[in-house]
Amino acid sequence: MRTFLILLGKELRAFFLSPVAWVVLALFMVITGQSFSLSIGLLREKPSDFSIVRWTFFPQWFWYYYFFLFPLITMRLFAEEQRQGTLESLLTAPVRAWQVLLAKYGSAVIFYCVLWLPALLYFGLLHWVMRGEVEIPLGALGGSYLILLATGLFHLALGCLASALTRNQIIAAILGYALILLHFLAGTFLMYLSQENPDRMRPVLDQAVTMRHMDYFTLGLIDSRPLAYYVSGAVLILLITHQVLEYRRWKA
Amino acid sequence: MMIDVQNLTKRFAGRTAVNGISFQVQPGEIVGFLGPNGAGKSTTMRMLTGYLPPTSGAAYIKGHDVFHDSLRARREIGFMPENVPLYEDMRVVEYLTFRAALKGVKIREVRSSVDRAMEYCGLGEVRKKMIGTLSKGFRQRVGLADALVHRPRLLILDEPTNGLDPNQIRQVRSLIAQLAGEHTILLSTHILSEVEMSCRRVIIINKGTIRADDTPEALAENLQSSGTVTVELRAGPEEVSEQIQGMAAVRRLAASQLEGGWHRYELRVEPGEEIRLEMAELAQARGWPLRELTQHRATLEDVFVELTQRE
Ligand SMILES: Nc1ncnc2c1ncn2[C@@H]1O[C@H](COP(=O)(O)OP(=O)(O)O)[C@@H](O)[C@H]1O
Ligand SMILES: [Mg+2]
Repeated sequence: MRTFLILLGKELRAFFLSPVAWVVLALFMVITGQSFSLSIGLLREKPSDFSIVRWTFFPQWFWYYYFFLFPLITMRLFAEEQRQGTLESLLTAPVRAWQVLLAKYGSAVIFYCVLWLPALLYFGLLHWVMRGEVEIPLGALGGSYLILLATGLFHLALGCLASALTRNQIIAAILGYALILLHFLAGTFLMYLSQENPDRMRPVLDQAVTMRHMDYFTLGLIDSRPLAYYVSGAVLILLITHQVLEYRRWKA
Repeated sequence: MMIDVQNLTKRFAGRTAVNGISFQVQPGEIVGFLGPNGAGKSTTMRMLTGYLPPTSGAAYIKGHDVFHDSLRARREIGFMPENVPLYEDMRVVEYLTFRAALKGVKIREVRSSVDRAMEYCGLGEVRKKMIGTLSKGFRQRVGLADALVHRPRLLILDEPTNGLDPNQIRQVRSLIAQLAGEHTILLSTHILSEVEMSCRRVIIINKGTIRADDTPEALAENLQSSGTVTVELRAGPEEVSEQIQGMAAVRRLAASQLEGGWHRYELRVEPGEEIRLEMAELAQARGWPLRELTQHRATLEDVFVELTQRE
């Protein structure tokens, strides 16, 4: 445990000292802030089927920036260690490879969570400014955060895998982006299929469709199956990442 | 026993980097691991430090199997990998603090351990500098400080003076000499003088196999090429070679002409034979003016060339 915490500390430090991280954080605050104020404007003009939470977290342009986020967070993790050769000094210390992996993944998850915190602050501010006169649907808020965390766990794991596959950060980013997009498009394709044959396909296919999960959870409809899907998917991908690291090291 | 290597073999896709080597190192020894580039030195060290798994064979550090009981074996080792990989964007003191904690130094002792290692390696003036901005010599010292920050009993140093200028090499070498008392040291190099100066034992490795394992002096003595005698005479090669034919101990004769009728002869002599007296008598008997008569000991360089280039 001590070893893990030391490794985690080092990774977090690397995150918060890297300029890329601060640029991402700043951009992200601008985007969520913009979405938030636009959604207020939108709801003031005419009533909508969707709540303010929905409009803030998932505006139309959500899918444009959401997938770029993960490669930016994860590209450095293993690629940079492999480029500098520091994986050798790291793994010849009395440290297990999975501790290194979990520390890196953990630091990425923490950074990702920090990205979403300002949005919470906006809602708090809104509540405070309006003295509770505007309704903030807490179920939808909780659901949104839950699904963002679950999909985040999964996509960050994919990013880690991509970073373990190469020593070049740029390639790691492109590869990570491709993997994430592939998963998303596969899900969208399945959604299309399940609309064609609603009865037979739906129960199986629904589990892999990120877009639909987002819809449900932001309405406050919390379902444990998608959560289980993302979490177990993340675990599986981390196991694969571990194998990749061992293989690249041992390259027999 | 500090290191016990038994039939260690490492094969990479189709190429055998280390081929069934065995050796032991006792506590307190300073062993030089000498071989040309690609001999398998780094691969052996990476197996000893648990970075690469052996294809077959086994190795033990203080009795701990480096593969099956890797963590305990690694705790005994301070390793400085080849080319000293370091985090470019960390400060020296931060890096060493991280490494000390990671290697199990107690929290209360981390600071003093880091200070001690930095003082030892002369890093005081760069303690707050980014590692990425350091010169090669300082990087090497950071690597060395990292290797010894947790006071390991065994230091494994992969080419510690690689890429340094002569002054830096001397500094690193004197650091290693100071470490000798407290630690067992296994260091690899392809530079001969390094082993001759720092090590009391040399293991010569070539193409993945051990070619020799002895003290530098004993290696030089035992070598076939040991005796070379240089003679300078004012006498022509025909005359001299004719006379020398008769001396059984001489295997080969090479002549070169000098100024004023002098010639220089290099005689290869059977190991352990003494021919200088006989040579002097011969010169006197034939009336050849003689101005030099020297026997050369084979240097480690001769041994190295002989063992690594023969086939
Ligand atoms: N990861 C690897 N994959 C394939 N071949 C390797 C690998 N590492 C080393 N080798 C090969 O093994 C041999 C020994 O290399 P190495 O141990 O680095 O030699 P040295 O350190 O003595 O210069 C070389 O021929 C090298 O090309
Ligand atoms: Mg090497």
